[in-house]
Amino acid sequence: MPELDKLHEAVIEGDWKAASAATQAAIAAGVAPLTIVGGYLVPAMDEVGRRFDCEEYYVPEMLLSARAMKAAMEIVRPLLAATGAEPVGRVVIGTVKGDLHDIGKNLVASMLEGGGFEVIDLGADVAPERFVEAAAARHAGLVALSALLTVTMGSMKTTIDAFQAAGLREKVKIMVGGAPLTRQYADAIGADGYTDSAGGAVALARRLVAA
Amino acid sequence: MRLKLISCEVLFREMCDACAHSPHQVDLEFLPKGLHDLGGKPMAAKIQEAVDRTPEGVYEAILLGYGLCGNGLDGLTARHTRLVLPRAHDCIALLMGSRERYQAYFEQNPGAYYRSTGWLERGKGLQQLTHDTIGFDQPLESMIRKYGEDNGRYLYEEMTRYRSQYGKLTFIETGLEAGGGFIAEAAAEARECGWIFERLPGDLAWLRRLVDGDWAESEFVVAGPGQRIAASYDSGVVKVEA
Repeated sequence: MPELDKLHEAVIEGDWKAASAATQAAIAAGVAPLTIVGGYLVPAMDEVGRRFDCEEYYVPEMLLSARAMKAAMEIVRPLLAATGAEPVGRVVIGTVKGDLHDIGKNLVASMLEGGGFEVIDLGADVAPERFVEAAAARHAGLVALSALLTVTMGSMKTTIDAFQAAGLREKVKIMVGGAPLTRQYADAIGADGYTDSAGGAVALARRLVAA
Repeated sequence: MRLKLISCEVLFREMCDACAHSPHQVDLEFLPKGLHDLGGKPMAAKIQEAVDRTPEGVYEAILLGYGLCGNGLDGLTARHTRLVLPRAHDCIALLMGSRERYQAYFEQNPGAYYRSTGWLERGKGLQQLTHDTIGFDQPLESMIRKYGEDNGRYLYEEMTRYRSQYGKLTFIETGLEAGGGFIAEAAAEARECGWIFERLPGDLAWLRRLVDGDWAESEFVVAGPGQRIAASYDSGVVKVEA
């Protein structure tokens, strides 16, 4: 249907007004909210992630696509909730204690939301106990930790240790990311997953909730 | 000893001062601060080029005026001459004189921006090496020019919001601020942003030990020929790998 093709296009092109209009038109034409998300928003954000991975897109383009996707989600989210549809997974996300840099975290949060996850964004400079409390209170199966500085990477381990201490480590999967991180570091601190791109974060999150 | 120092230009005044007071003959080479903006791997590649340009058999050691710098020194390999690198996360730790002092200050002040002579006179307009499509640190006007009024404003807000979390500008004073210009400029920047301004006494003893050849294991990593420097992700910051 032409509205839906326009939606797909608008998200990839980062045109939030067109995305919003196309979503409204599709809803008016009787398209199911789940179809809009699963059939169009998710594939569009996957394409955005792919373009980022091969350096066709950079951070600004991704942010604009995320903005367009969110404009569509604003319309779809209440309708989805009314149908009682379950998200792919529930993820608690934030930058770790001491780290105020949230651009990467915001991108991953948007990509996860575009990928069908319910995202509980705790913001920046989040203390370990806040991650633990939020994951427990919201029954999140997934926790995503971000750090931009080598100085704050240690807070990732502290956060993972806090889940252990609270007896919740087995109940959640923890994924980590950020510019200075490596897979070796992720393994060393006992994270369940690591990825070096926002697009990769969605694929990783899907694998982790399916495991 | 004859030593070669390859340093980030952000430490220009401090390194010149330290070398002038060193008992050794130190040849200096400064690399652009903008390397930092390239990201870890490309930065390491550029520094490796400088290491590889160093002639064999001339120097007792190649000193690196850097810290781990966002993994920008990770993977650096010593060829014929050993490499010496302070166990610091970045230049702020070096200017403060110890990583413990930096860590403690950082934990107390997560929202602090740092300034020093180098950050003021060499920190600006040095994005020349950045891939400009990445778009960080672009002024609002250029964002609007590139992405249109609405999207440009949105991007600018998204990409600078983290700054609103900052509340302090800390000028690290090393005694090399000739004239009052540096401190006045930093104070004015803090005022413009509505941040608290703090003058923190720096400590150049660590940098001096680098160029003096006083390389204690606790403060420096020394990579012999064929060995490489790697991030250690522990309190030692960096380690040597075979």
